[in-house]
Amino acid sequence: MSRLPSRYFGELEYSPDAAFQFAAGIPGFDDQTAFIFLEQPKNHPLVFMQSLVRPDLCFIAVPVFVADPRYKLHLSPEDRELLELSAPPEPQIEADLICLALVTLSDGADPTVNLASPIVLNLKNRKGVQSIQECSGYSMQHPLSPSVEKPPCS
Amino acid sequence: MLVMRRRAGESFLIGTDIELEILEVGPTRVKIGITAPASLAILRKEVALTRAQNLSAAQPAPPDTIAWLSEKLSASRERSEPQP
Repeated sequence: MSRLPSRYFGELEYSPDAAFQFAAGIPGFDDQTAFIFLEQPKNHPLVFMQSLVRPDLCFIAVPVFVADPRYKLHLSPEDRELLELSAPPEPQIEADLICLALVTLSDGADPTVNLASPIVLNLKNRKGVQSIQECSGYSMQHPLSPSVEKPPCS
Repeated sequence: MLVMRRRAGESFLIGTDIELEILEVGPTRVKIGITAPASLAILRKEVALTRAQNLSAAQPAPPDTIAWLSEKLSASRERSEPQP
């Protein structure tokens, strides 16, 4: 087990095997190449993306389906290569991949999620990438509150 | 916005040391060659926007805000689960 001071949880003990490797970092944080993903029952459904390089850096994310139950992920050939995904069958979110949207919590503004550049994790080899969706129509500032407060139509 | 029409193989200049050449025109994409000084950063716009959004998302959130958000999201999930 390794230990690491973390942004939100004090000193963390984690297994190095649990880390996900981001070979290219993520835009704006090119040198952040390893993260661990933490869930806590009391903060469900939030996922904390803690950097293993910078203890004070921790993103807050939600599974994309929390923000949009019909979310469709499109992986570019470059992203597939970074995730080391072989050709078909098409990987399935939740079975083979985890797909998370980063949350922005600005002072005084409603929380938003970035559905246009989700964090995609390959569970088989623990590789990760921030996958920029081209021409998807998804927003980088998708409001998290309206869809949350509105009861779903059926 | 200045609009120009160019064919594959043609190019245009921005100032004296930036050249954009249209290399290939496909049905949904164009391939562009850029010659510019190495000191200029050239990024796909969506990468630059993602970068800016990541910098905002990296701002630490107060514990109260985290608790409020997870409570709100859990409450909405519970409401939506009994429905098809």
